[in-house]
Amino acid sequence: MLRKKTFAIGICILVAFSIIAIFSPLLTPYDPYKIIETPLEKPNKNHVLGTNALGQDIFSRLIYGTRATLLIGFIGALVSISIGTFVGTVSGYYGGKIDEFITRAIDIIMTIPMFPLLLVLSIFLTPNMLGISVLMGILGWAGFSRIIRSQVLSLSEYNFIYSVRAMGARDPYIMAKHILPNILPLVVVKFVFAAQNYMLMGVGLGFLGLGDPSMIDWGQMINCAYTNGGFALGMWWWLLPPGLSIAFLSIAVSLVGYSFEDEINPRLRRMVS
Amino acid sequence: MYAEYIIKRFFYSFLAFFISISITFSILHLMPGDYIHYLAPYLAEVNPEASELFRHQFGLDKPIIEQYFIYIYNVFHGNWGYSFQYRVPVLKIISEKLYWTLIILLPSTFLSIVIGIFMGAHFGWRSGTKKDLSVLNVMIFIRAIPSYWWAIMLILVFGFYFNLFPLGGFISISALELGINYLDVLHHAILPIFTLTLCSIPGIYYLMRNSMLLTVGEDYIITARAKGLEERNVLRKHALKNAMLPMITMITLECAHMITGSIFIETIFSWPGLGLLTFNAILARDLFLLQGIFLICTLIIIIANFIADLSYLYIDPRIKVGESA
Repeated sequence: MLRKKTFAIGICILVAFSIIAIFSPLLTPYDPYKIIETPLEKPNKNHVLGTNALGQDIFSRLIYGTRATLLIGFIGALVSISIGTFVGTVSGYYGGKIDEFITRAIDIIMTIPMFPLLLVLSIFLTPNMLGISVLMGILGWAGFSRIIRSQVLSLSEYNFIYSVRAMGARDPYIMAKHILPNILPLVVVKFVFAAQNYMLMGVGLGFLGLGDPSMIDWGQMINCAYTNGGFALGMWWWLLPPGLSIAFLSIAVSLVGYSFEDEINPRLRRMVS
Repeated sequence: MYAEYIIKRFFYSFLAFFISISITFSILHLMPGDYIHYLAPYLAEVNPEASELFRHQFGLDKPIIEQYFIYIYNVFHGNWGYSFQYRVPVLKIISEKLYWTLIILLPSTFLSIVIGIFMGAHFGWRSGTKKDLSVLNVMIFIRAIPSYWWAIMLILVFGFYFNLFPLGGFISISALELGINYLDVLHHAILPIFTLTLCSIPGIYYLMRNSMLLTVGEDYIITARAKGLEERNVLRKHALKNAMLPMITMITLECAHMITGSIFIETIFSWPGLGLLTFNAILARDLFLLQGIFLICTLIIIIANFIADLSYLYIDPRIKVGESA
């Protein structure tokens, strides 16, 4: 019961954020890029959250920032989960030499420190926001594909897979029509958590000053407020809103993720609900 | 049989290390833009000789294949190259910074593992109670908020408003006259340690709790209870040991990740450790220093994995020798 409620709450918040992201041009009172007012204005009637060091409306930028965060999370998760599911399924289904090779390769890939590598690539290649999300996805699939592999490995020993194979079905067909639907719940759960992870990482990159400068994102807003003295001047309306937004969004995503995980894992569910 | 297994694991670890550093070497050398370009953007056009000299000094004018073999040769002879920025051996800077990183990493890793395992075991055993559910929700909350945001909030509250801790750095300005005082360093280290601990507890707690949930349902727990054992003994002697098994991999992974995870924390707290060094090296495109940092991270991850493999050998006799873990 409780889990269903948290799931609903999480989904509602996510939908609200998506609506804000899609309709941001309609919701913002000012052009977020335009310099409209004296810099460092306090919150007032015209500017709900005041203006930043360049004189841009903070509230409008906050609304626009939703887009970047949601997109980074979604695209990053899509890329890494797709690669991970594909590699994991192939490895677990075929077994033998292919599995051995892929497993060893993943072991090696896992020894490369991915986060510093992400920082290096995003500073050397200066990708745009789409590039950053794809990059995060490409760097982050290895651990996930291990989990999928172990699931597929035990799944391919089931009788129904043997019987489908005995009927003459081809391997790609079996993987797509019989293996995939069975691991789909797990894939969805991992997708939700990956999306959360990449959202936080994307905002983190922005915070370190490595984001796409042409995009407005919450990380860069925090960075801007933090380095331009929003902190030391006690201008909480500049520093807090972007951080609280990402925290709020991230909590909503994890509510969805954990409720879903309980739902698909009966052993956990029996204990929890 | 054990010896054969250990040698095999050792061989694989070595191979993984070799391939991994080759990959990072290629990626770092193929990246566009270099240090001299970053330092003086138009130097190459204005004064090509200085640029040439720099490239020659660091051996960057040699063919990439030759550079690769020199690099591999040097790595195994303990020469990890010279940093562009600091003009000292990379190994020296890294070992110096590693010391400072360990000052905040060791306590926080230790604390988060102990607290995480204790809470996970405690509440996993009593799962479904009101207390368990509220702790679970608190943990989900802590985990959902990114580490850098926790750090900023903690600095804002404890450093800025209550003025209990310094806003950053590792020693006070008075150290210039009085020398480094350990209490002073500790005072500066408390907030970073607290933040790192706070952010790593939920992951360990969650895994331990799940592991405990699975263990509670096992037949041997029912048997132990049926024998009439005290609940406390069932937990300590039967459940805990088995539930701890998956934690070993987790803990080694955690150790490896904390080094890179400290990039945010060290940058925010201006803590002079490996994380801040990495961040600055990336900004400055300090090629050899970056290579060295990747090397040390890879090395730590591989050693941690190797130790995990070996410890399973002693802890879990069910693991068949020769099978990949």
